[in-house]
Amino acid sequence: MTIRHAIELDTLTLLAISAVVGIVFAAYFNHKPNTRYSFSLPVMQAQDSTLSPVPSEAPVFAPEVQTFSQVSPDGTKKLTMTATTNKDAGKTYAFITSDAANANQQSIYEATLPNMENMSIPFNTWSPDNAYVFLGQNTASSSGAIVMKANGEPIVEGQRYFDVAALFKAQNTGNTYQETTGWASETLLIINTMQPDGTKGSSYWLEIPSKAIIQLSTQF
Amino acid sequence: MAKKSSRHKRSTGRNRGWFAHLKRYLPLLVIGVIAFAATTVVLRVNQTPPTCANSKSCASDLSVKIENDATGIFQGQKIIPPKITTAMASLPQSPVLGANTTSGEKHIYIDLSTQTLYAYQGTTLVLKTLISSGKWRDTPTGNFHIWEKLLATRMSGGEGADAYDLPNVPYVMYFYHDFGLHGAYWHDNFGHVMSHGCVNMRSVDAKVLFDWADGPTGNTLGTAVSVCDQITSAKQCIQNNPVQ
Repeated sequence: MTIRHAIELDTLTLLAISAVVGIVFAAYFNHKPNTRYSFSLPVMQAQDSTLSPVPSEAPVFAPEVQTFSQVSPDGTKKLTMTATTNKDAGKTYAFITSDAANANQQSIYEATLPNMENMSIPFNTWSPDNAYVFLGQNTASSSGAIVMKANGEPIVEGQRYFDVAALFKAQNTGNTYQETTGWASETLLIINTMQPDGTKGSSYWLEIPSKAIIQLSTQF
Repeated sequence: MAKKSSRHKRSTGRNRGWFAHLKRYLPLLVIGVIAFAATTVVLRVNQTPPTCANSKSCASDLSVKIENDATGIFQGQKIIPPKITTAMASLPQSPVLGANTTSGEKHIYIDLSTQTLYAYQGTTLVLKTLISSGKWRDTPTGNFHIWEKLLATRMSGGEGADAYDLPNVPYVMYFYHDFGLHGAYWHDNFGHVMSHGCVNMRSVDAKVLFDWADGPTGNTLGTAVSVCDQITSAKQCIQNNPVQ
């Protein structure tokens, strides 16, 4: 190795050391260590609020008749579901919309289902303008939803409601319908899907009443 | 003369030596400074805490704004906001939360993993409901206090298809810069991320919380707000990298 080579090597080494020292100093002065804090919430008293709005759940049928309701986001309307155990197998589900104080009741849907199927009122059932509601309709192997007008009128001429999963399936997007989460706006229902490989697929909008399925660039 | 020449020669030699050192070490110094600056920039960018939820309205002002004839826009959809009346602020407190029957410090907890809000007074759970936290910008985790309560205001921000401009956003309670709890009339997708960093609630829930929670008064801080990445089954609030 010549003296010149030795000097160049020496210079490169010093340059590298200088760069490393700079990075180390910068890291030292700017590093904010990853912090993880935890603390306890108060232990809940037995008098847990029965008054608070809580997410809806699939009904559990203990007595012969069970009633469940969900207010609209602005608190002015209410959707009430009554599930009645039939003498034979199965239950009859009846849905009624009304004002928050139960005035102006309007029957909007009724169905009798076998024991393996059930219906529910999702937390986000009401459209933001209270014009539409969607209902959960579940079987042992799949979940679905139907959407209808909250005043009981047909959603389009000659059709009382839309079956969300069926409309999505008819589009042949390549993804499988998984759930309807809620409303992106007054007329847009959000649909989550699954890809053929089982991973989470794109989210879609179902536009009411045009029935257009719109793929989103984001997932909900 | 000979002495002078020798001194001059020594002096020149020293200067040459100094310049030679400078010539050799200046690049090292420059490299070091550049590395320091570059690393600093990278680290700062990654560590920058979110300071603005609504990129446009946070820069204008965060005062009460009631605009009953205005229209809004969200996700490219025209939105007609609900009417706001000042009488809404003076309604008696909702009996739902039993403010007169419970005692103890008020504390709001938000579990981002389940998109759930819990409001406690002492050890009593007075409200539990689903919320929508940040989708387009993260909701900051940490421990805060409500620093401002507004009956309604305008929130705007975003770019392109994501641009939004929403008048009459009701029951706003800011807890960190312009990150706040508030009612959201433009969507009904609670339980899922849907905001630009704020904590969206159904208007019916936001009103109840607004009536119950306290803003700052004198030397007293507003109601405490803890935003948790997760609340465990053992009721532990877990916060990863809280902003404060």
